[in-house]
Amino acid sequence: MNQTDKPIANPIVVLREEFDDWAVLFNPETAYAVGTNPVGVAVWKRMDGKKSLADIVSEIKNSFADTPDAAFKEIAAFANELAENGFVGLELKSK
Amino acid sequence: MPEGLKDMIEPTVSKVMRSPRSLDIEITARCNLRCRYCYFFNNPAVKYRDLPADEWLKFFGELGSLGVMSVILAGGEPFIREDLPVLLEGLVRNRMRFSLLSNGALIGDEIAAFLARTGRCEYVQVSVDGSGPEIHDSCRGKGSFEGALRGIRTLQRHRIGVAVRVTVHRHNIDDLENIAHFLLEELGLPCFSTNSAGYLGTCRLNADDVMLTIAERQSAMATLLRLAEKYPNRISASAGPLSEGRIWRLMEEARAQGKPAFPNRGRLTACGCPSSKISVRADGTIVPCNMLNHIELGRINHDSLAEVWQNGPALNQLRNRRTIPLADFEFCAGCAYMFYCTGSCPGLAYTLTGKVDHPSPDSCLQRFLEEGGTIP
Repeated sequence: MNQTDKPIANPIVVLREEFDDWAVLFNPETAYAVGTNPVGVAVWKRMDGKKSLADIVSEIKNSFADTPDAAFKEIAAFANELAENGFVGLELKSK
Repeated sequence: MPEGLKDMIEPTVSKVMRSPRSLDIEITARCNLRCRYCYFFNNPAVKYRDLPADEWLKFFGELGSLGVMSVILAGGEPFIREDLPVLLEGLVRNRMRFSLLSNGALIGDEIAAFLARTGRCEYVQVSVDGSGPEIHDSCRGKGSFEGALRGIRTLQRHRIGVAVRVTVHRHNIDDLENIAHFLLEELGLPCFSTNSAGYLGTCRLNADDVMLTIAERQSAMATLLRLAEKYPNRISASAGPLSEGRIWRLMEEARAQGKPAFPNRGRLTACGCPSSKISVRADGTIVPCNMLNHIELGRINHDSLAEVWQNGPALNQLRNRRTIPLADFEFCAGCAYMFYCTGSCPGLAYTLTGKVDHPSPDSCLQRFLEEGGTIP
């Protein structure tokens, strides 16, 4: 099966925005929850299967002031954690 | 107040989440049993009527849109509702997990298989108050022990998490060791929890018969503390003799050593529930907690839950309870444990004193000692 490099959020996952844009991502099927800061929320909202991680990082850099150079690495690690816990998949290539 | 302690018990600023993380819902006002210490029945503030499924399903849609993570369905007896699968499907559809509080008797294979299929059931809590029918049935009615056991075994067969709750009362304090053996060794449960009959609902009518005296409370505390050592991490409590035994030991140690105030103590901080959860009565009335059923905050499908949660004056007043120092109460005057105390449950404070903004006399260590109790 051919996958793209475009992450797509699992629609079953709940984004609970709680305080000051900090949030909890919760998978009701596994009961696994992960807390995230406003950058993580912004990343999550962009995981629509149309943007690659590089696209997302680029958008984040434009949206948040003083984004560190290590942003791509950190966002990739965040995306990996989400993928390992069933929060995110990769969009399939259309035929 | 001793020098230096006042600053240490100043309240910290507490923000309110945009929506509750979880809800306690009394999904029905009907029950197949009439237990002698039930907190639910005989509450003059409550209208005992059920809502049709479509009202609940509409409300579950609102919970889903608010990102509520889990719901605890209680009653009454939730398994008495023939439309329970429809309601649970509504929770699943709206991306929530759920748990149920039950007496076990109405749990059959069909509904247990359904629960397992949803993949969203955290646990079913079944009440067991004795190691055999004689003691269990003394407060819950003839045949209820067999019903509870049948329910537990059915749940186990379907690999659904079973959480047993033991309510300690006058008739089972000498059976606690047997109960622990029965639940943990014979039934093979990983753990169970305990509380005690509290002065709420039907229990108020039978208080002399079911509620623990000071001596019985002390005995239950000693037994449960010993059993908790015998079965490490397998017996828990957030209220009742085991919980009191644990916290009162810490409070006495702190007092004896002149330790500084515990964090978030010395004020009416209580359980902290109004910051993360909210409750709904069987008739659809939104209330802060099942123990505070008389405080009506709104009505489902008529009032916005987010609005009630964020801006409800009565709920925010309850949240602000945590800023009230225990030193303000005549009841706490001269108490050496004040700076280690939360004032305990506001529900019991209300039923015992008529005031929500008051420490609960029920879990008061000073009062326990004055009335002849000692900490085991």
